[in-house]
Amino acid sequence: MKSTEEAGVLSARSRLQMAYRVFKGAFFFGRKGLIIWDSWEMWIMQIFITPIAQIGFFAFLSVYLKYPLSATQFIVIGNALQAMSFSAVFAVANITSQDKWQGTLPSTMVTPANRVALFIGRAWFQVLLSALIAGAGLLYAATIFGVSFAQADFLALVVVVMLTAIAMTTFGLLISAVGLYMRTALIVANVFLFVTMLLCGIDFPVSQLPTWLQPVAWAIPLTYGTEAVRMAIAGDSLRSLLGIIGWESLDALLVMLSGFALFTGFESLSRRTGRFEEY
Amino acid sequence: MPSMDDLTPGKRTEGYLGQRVQVLKASMFLTSRLFFADPQWVIPNIIAPFIFTLVAFELFDGQTSSGSFLLYLVLGSGLMGMWGTTIYASANSIGFDRWNGTMESTLAAPMPLSWIALGRVLFNTLQGVLTAVFILVIGIAWFRTGFTLVNPPAFFLASVSTFLSLSTFGLLMTTVLLLSRKGGFITNSMEIPVYIATGTMFPVILLPIVYLPFAFMLAPTWGIDAIRIAALPNYVGLPTTYWQDMAIMAVETLAYLALAFFLFKRVEAYAKKIGTLEEY
Amino acid sequence: MGGTLSYPHTDVGIPREPYQVLVLGSPSAESSEWAVSVKGLTREYTTRNFFGGVARSTWALSGVDFQVAVGELFGLIGPNGAGKTTTIKILTTLLTPTGGDATILGLDVRKDLYEIRRRIGIVFGGERGLYNRVSAVDNLRYFSDLYGVDSGVAKKRIPQLLEVVGLADRAQERVEKYSRGMKQRLHIAKALVHDPELIFLDEPTIGLDPAGARDIRNMVRELKAQGKTILLTTHYMFEAEELCQRVGVISKGKIVALDTPSDLKNMVRDISVIDLRTYGATMEYVEALRALPSVVRVVADLDSEEQSIRVQTPMGADLLPQVVAALPEGTKIIDRTIKEPTLEDAYLRLVEE
Repeated sequence: MKSTEEAGVLSARSRLQMAYRVFKGAFFFGRKGLIIWDSWEMWIMQIFITPIAQIGFFAFLSVYLKYPLSATQFIVIGNALQAMSFSAVFAVANITSQDKWQGTLPSTMVTPANRVALFIGRAWFQVLLSALIAGAGLLYAATIFGVSFAQADFLALVVVVMLTAIAMTTFGLLISAVGLYMRTALIVANVFLFVTMLLCGIDFPVSQLPTWLQPVAWAIPLTYGTEAVRMAIAGDSLRSLLGIIGWESLDALLVMLSGFALFTGFESLSRRTGRFEEY
Repeated sequence: MPSMDDLTPGKRTEGYLGQRVQVLKASMFLTSRLFFADPQWVIPNIIAPFIFTLVAFELFDGQTSSGSFLLYLVLGSGLMGMWGTTIYASANSIGFDRWNGTMESTLAAPMPLSWIALGRVLFNTLQGVLTAVFILVIGIAWFRTGFTLVNPPAFFLASVSTFLSLSTFGLLMTTVLLLSRKGGFITNSMEIPVYIATGTMFPVILLPIVYLPFAFMLAPTWGIDAIRIAALPNYVGLPTTYWQDMAIMAVETLAYLALAFFLFKRVEAYAKKIGTLEEY
Repeated sequence: MGGTLSYPHTDVGIPREPYQVLVLGSPSAESSEWAVSVKGLTREYTTRNFFGGVARSTWALSGVDFQVAVGELFGLIGPNGAGKTTTIKILTTLLTPTGGDATILGLDVRKDLYEIRRRIGIVFGGERGLYNRVSAVDNLRYFSDLYGVDSGVAKKRIPQLLEVVGLADRAQERVEKYSRGMKQRLHIAKALVHDPELIFLDEPTIGLDPAGARDIRNMVRELKAQGKTILLTTHYMFEAEELCQRVGVISKGKIVALDTPSDLKNMVRDISVIDLRTYGATMEYVEALRALPSVVRVVADLDSEEQSIRVQTPMGADLLPQVVAALPEGTKIIDRTIKEPTLEDAYLRLVEE
């Protein structure tokens, strides 16, 4: 049946075009739809206030406990990177909830839009914002909290920050998928946001955690990210970081795949139980 | 269907104070009902201070394991729990009416908005106290710190005063949220700076000097100092005594209260001028 | 039901009793004899630009005058945006007027806020205004406390009210489970919880199904029989005609007519109405009817399978041959009736002029 095959090829191409358009639409929606985050005050807060306050809190605590300077700097760098979690995880997870509150979820779900494109397109903007926030955090580390970047390999630093922003956003998507079905997505996101603070080697090394918790820590991409950022600031080149970058990428990929599986799974579950609109 | 003829005729509660206490009680009761109808939102209020505490404990662990030092921390994290809940829940207390669509009905009542809000805030702060107790109990159990207090009555008095002081702060935050569309921004930005400035985890004396006026303007800064003086042996905190702390806190709390009531009058006048507070 | 009024949003079978003659206080009477007295009321809305200057100013009310007698059921009708809601907001002390005077039960809306609020009840139309996550009893208890109702009285009055509005058996259920009509009945109970003398009903039947709307109207009649003063806004003309003793028509921020429904109808005594029920009618037919000589106005509802078209004309039945002749191919007249004009016909003339 040649004609059917041709039709199949055609529709594959048009499907790709469709997917691109959905991606594009979702990209812009991902930005505009975030009503809570879409005011200039929220930007100021995310980029200027929260990172400094968070770094300051733990840095002062470290000073109070008379930790050596190196330990304080460890904490400062860790928190600078962790500050992106708010935008990467919480804001992304918030998108689905927003849809629910505004009652736009059913109308999004009835579109034949390609789910992967929808999924990724919505979060892309947060990736950029997250990287920006981490960059700002590192800038404060250098200017306010006295971390030396003299040895730093900036190429490696940029690559690691970007990669971590992408990887953490995939985590946000995973939670956003949960939000499709549960009314508690924001709470899950909130809990997760703070759990990273405890688990991901932000304020103290992962090795200090109970043994049974350490594998959980290494399942979160941020754990690789903080380690790699500290190495890059200490002067490790991109080449010598390839190993840890590889692991982080693999981890992010796994997170994304499970997020997508959940997304489609919950979508059909929601359809069966009719829970799109509840909150 | 029974007829309207059978209705008991209405009668008003007598007395200025009686009416206000009635509103206060009603508002607290309704807030509790609304809370128990959907209690999951208490989780975010608990989780942030709790994780902060766990991280701090982990950091402390390498340095000192002195029991009184850990209690210092546990008390601080309890206060963070109260702060977190108060700031978020109280600031949203009347804001809730806004998105629930009951703002007009609330404004139409023959009672000042401030008394209605005060009822909401008192319940929310009470919820903050429960958060604090919850964190205290877990902290004590998890880290096996003792809980022997130097002066229990003084500890109790300081805790209750700090609770009241937090409530008035919550009331003040409510007006900010009502007057400004960006109240959410303010509450979100304030959380961690307030943890820092009130000396929950480390003494405020460590802070840069420019930060200190802000720290001293927050009544709970004095409250936590008084609580620690009453709880811990050999505690070195602010250069003030227990009673000095309590006095400063009382003065600041009264100032918050006066400012809050003044601002509520402004809010109501503003609402009447523009005809709504429904818009967000 | 061929002869009775049958209109898109009317429910059927409402008994239509003749109106009682209302004896109103003389116009020169003291304002305290009026339940509501409004003189030269204006209200301006301004939006400010970034620099705090006035960017845009609109006059929602530009000089409204009317009075409502104690015990009267007064209707305020007008198109959307005419100023109904602004008037109600000012009278219920939720909004300050820009100019003019308004007194409620002899009290000034600018000064005597709390005293006015204690003596009036407000029913807002629509879904808003209730705490959905808690029960009807919780809602009523809360508002009775807010209005300072003596708690002993409230204990008796709340269950009685729930009986009266027919919610007693579901009083403990969360309001979010209620139907639209039940919520509206709860709104009425809420407005009555403190036994007000004057009740404002702001489009109380909006969005209700016919049975639900009828329940609400019956309650309004009962309240009237209780001697309560009622100010009702609606944009259902038959509702105003059926319930109200006097009706004020508000248009573009001004009262353009104020009279009893029958006197308002007298304004359009010169016309009669051809009421058509058709099948397959489109805008084309409506336009053709409008083009006929002596046709004053054509109002059509073309949305349903059976369309209803109202033709106002001084010619009455004499126009029928031309109405039939204008029928396009495929359009059929199922039923036609010649009627006396209703309040709606008067209203349309008033707001269009």
